[in-house]
Amino acid sequence: MSHIHIPDGVLPVWLVALGWVAALALVWCASSRARRTDVRRMVPLLGVVAALVLVAMSTEVVPIAYHVNLTVVAGVLLGPWLGAIAAFIVVIMLALLGHGGVTVIGLNTLMIAAEMAIGWGLFRLLARAFGRRHVGWAAAVATVVTLAITTTALVGLVALAGGGAATGRETGALDSRSLTFANPLSGGIVSVNTLRGEAAPVAPAAPLSVARFATVVYTLGPIGWVLEALVTAAVLSYVARVRPGLVFGEAVIEAERRPAGDEGTH
Amino acid sequence: MDVRAIDLCATTGGSRLHGASPVTKLVAFAFVLTAVVVQQNLFVVLACLLLLVALAVGSRLPARQVFGLAAYPAIFSLVFAFAAAPDAFTGAMFVVRAVAASLAAIVLLFVTPYPQLFAPLQRVLPEVVGDALLMTYRSLFLLAEKFEHLRVAIRLRSGLTHGHPVRAARATVGALGALVLYAFDLSQREYDVMRLRGYQGRLRVTLPPAASRSFDAALLASAAAVLLVAVGFRAAGATLTPWSWLLAAAAALALLATIAGRLVRT
Repeated sequence: MSHIHIPDGVLPVWLVALGWVAALALVWCASSRARRTDVRRMVPLLGVVAALVLVAMSTEVVPIAYHVNLTVVAGVLLGPWLGAIAAFIVVIMLALLGHGGVTVIGLNTLMIAAEMAIGWGLFRLLARAFGRRHVGWAAAVATVVTLAITTTALVGLVALAGGGAATGRETGALDSRSLTFANPLSGGIVSVNTLRGEAAPVAPAAPLSVARFATVVYTLGPIGWVLEALVTAAVLSYVARVRPGLVFGEAVIEAERRPAGDEGTH
Repeated sequence: MDVRAIDLCATTGGSRLHGASPVTKLVAFAFVLTAVVVQQNLFVVLACLLLLVALAVGSRLPARQVFGLAAYPAIFSLVFAFAAAPDAFTGAMFVVRAVAASLAAIVLLFVTPYPQLFAPLQRVLPEVVGDALLMTYRSLFLLAEKFEHLRVAIRLRSGLTHGHPVRAARATVGALGALVLYAFDLSQREYDVMRLRGYQGRLRVTLPPAASRSFDAALLASAAAVLLVAVGFRAAGATLTPWSWLLAAAAALALLATIAGRLVRT
């Protein structure tokens, strides 16, 4: 639940640019694969699943920070390739709403797409191992493992970012130790108690503390993992009972004409 | 986040910013975002933030929603601030930069209807992605409304199961499951409608012309000036840094003048 909220200006430019390149390449590959099937069917399907994830994300379980994502559910329903496109769309919409930075749309897309793909793979594996009667357990375990992996990937990203320009700062004319302003007009035009004529300190770039960051996300994260696992297990169990083709069928992109689960719509 | 309220403000707002060309607003947004992200001086970023607040106040955007959304990334940037900040000022830099960047995106969203915002993006993205972006917008309202109805129904049922949080939680998750099925049925209906209307794989959105070309030019010039100042402070930090507090002070005065002007008019 902590994966998409990297704000702007935290990570170095090279990492952000790399994220954009990788995400655009992934989305391009995914859309090329989608073109092999009926594009006209994929468009509304992607739209509603992306909207579903957005609606879920806008519903807070615990005020302020905890909300469900339904990314594993979306992954199970769409498969990894269409999931990547849905992730890109969701991240764009969320960035415009202030949930995650605009410059880190690329990295956030990779994170959510990974979450959908890993969730999809694990769920299929576990559903086969546990059997169809224990879909809830398969979904719960898949969700917890997926979120643990993506949270670790986030920590890895922060470790990769290290120190550098993004963590550097200048205090302006404010001396952080004495809390006094260095006054550029100290020649005599302005002379107030808090304005002093001193050279402005330029702080050196501080490395991101991976240990501290990991402590925070591994402390707050598991609460979110459990909540998400419970919701995902319940939702997938419900869908599996009512329309099993959606959960146990092949991924939508592999269908030639009609996605699995459409049997109940006509 | 209430996407319907955002859309209402974007489509019915009568400010000059609402009337500006979507492409101009997107370019201006890109300039301001770059200015915020490249900047390492707390006071310059603070000045950008105050100017964005003045823009939101001057455009009569709904304060509670705009600033509520803009405050959201502050919570997550605090995690990064905790992980990386060697002192309070570096931490403040993380928070102010994240809030300023998200406020720029949120102001853009509140003054530009989604289809106009996505139309320029749609033209450069693969057709599946671009069209799905627009379909997400459409589906979002339908699903949000459906989910709201389901939640009302759940609240009514919870009245009967008061004191049984587990039962209430089950009902909520059941509603989410029902929403998943509704989403799939919705995608099927949308597909049928699109086929009937002759959709061939590219939705067309017409961009409206600017209400005032001079305002568009002024908006672009202002955003470019912000970017130039930011780049100037980054490039010649040692010389200009002692003056940076003046920028924040000027921006604060501009904000006060905007608030006073609005109060006088009302």
